[in-house]
Amino acid sequence: MSEFHDVYPDYEGMAQHDEAAGKKIRKKLWMVFWLLLVVTIFEVIVGFFAAKWGVSKTVLKFLFIGLTLVKAGYIVMVFMHLGHESKWTKYMILVPYAFFIIYLFLMMTMGEGNYVNEHRHTGHPSNGQVDMQTPAAAPADAEHH
Amino acid sequence: MAGSAAEVEKYASWNGGMSPLRASYGKLFMWFFLVSDALTFSGFLCAYGFFRHNFAGEWPDPQAVFHHFPFLHGVHLPLMYVGLMTFILIMSSVTMVLAVEAGHRNYRKGVLIWMFATIIGGLMFVGSQAWEWTNFIKGSEHGAVLYNHNMYLYKVDHATHEPILDILTFHNKELSAAESKEILAKGEPFHGANLQYNEYGQPAFADFFFFITGFHGFHVFSGVVINICIFIMALNGYMKRVGHYEMVEKVGLYWHFVDLVWVFVFTFFYLL
Repeated sequence: MSEFHDVYPDYEGMAQHDEAAGKKIRKKLWMVFWLLLVVTIFEVIVGFFAAKWGVSKTVLKFLFIGLTLVKAGYIVMVFMHLGHESKWTKYMILVPYAFFIIYLFLMMTMGEGNYVNEHRHTGHPSNGQVDMQTPAAAPADAEHH
Repeated sequence: MAGSAAEVEKYASWNGGMSPLRASYGKLFMWFFLVSDALTFSGFLCAYGFFRHNFAGEWPDPQAVFHHFPFLHGVHLPLMYVGLMTFILIMSSVTMVLAVEAGHRNYRKGVLIWMFATIIGGLMFVGSQAWEWTNFIKGSEHGAVLYNHNMYLYKVDHATHEPILDILTFHNKELSAAESKEILAKGEPFHGANLQYNEYGQPAFADFFFFITGFHGFHVFSGVVINICIFIMALNGYMKRVGHYEMVEKVGLYWHFVDLVWVFVFTFFYLL
């Protein structure tokens, strides 16, 4: 393997630490584990009792997605050690992904999904009305020509 | 040419002898692969979201579908087993990062112990997922009614979660008592879910369930296989020979990625 390294610094060796530092690191790892566990249990309990407590679906959605992003953040930054890498390594990995996922989620899932759901019973031939046995509920939408 | 200290340093770093981003190339390329895999799974989950919003009225409720627990037949425990699976995977993620930390101290025994625990956790997760698939395919006791290639579901009493066996629904619209009786007479009972018919509701739900959890389960399985390889390498003393345990760290990145994907699948499939 040495022919690939030439005079590069010994990055593999530089990552190493001694037993004393190791104790502190292990403590932090277990703290993150408890955080992930508590958040997951909280999510399951809220999901179970949501209807009984009268929590609105929108609040539930944002709560779950927010907590999942928190869990994901801790896994990526602490467990995968991305927090210890250089600033530009972090950006290089997170920024392109963020661009793609925001576009994909907002435009495709929310935008297209809601559009198709809204215009399903407008009687436009492309909706495949003949396959469904429920009659068209609304008259043809004015936007469809 | 005379210049400031910063300019001299910049000249030196552009002159070579330094890996960009100050990380070894193996780790950087593992990150590149993980970003591409993350985009793949994001595409799947966004497609799932699209279909879910498309069929918003008639999408099965995951709490009504996944309410079984091994060895507790007939007990209604919504999402408990999936919660247990999530706990097992998070636990295996923790043991993995502890193996990586032991590797950073060149402590071979710690690496072996924690890698072994990670492998066991991974195998438990894959086994649990197989059990979930079996139950999903087998279906519930009351099932649904299949007539003329159409699936008619029993109306569910939301208070008790029990089906009302003389009223049928079609695409979330309740049928009259007479129509229900007619279809119950002519149709045949159907249990479970497969790629064609789904007793729980919209067939797309079953398709996405098999596809996404199958893809994820395959990643977990391949991760377990790779972990076993790295475990054997550490056992044979390969890492002691080269003087560092970076292989464990790279494989650890893959395993944490698998856990990360499960966190998102768990949220979007089972909770929302």
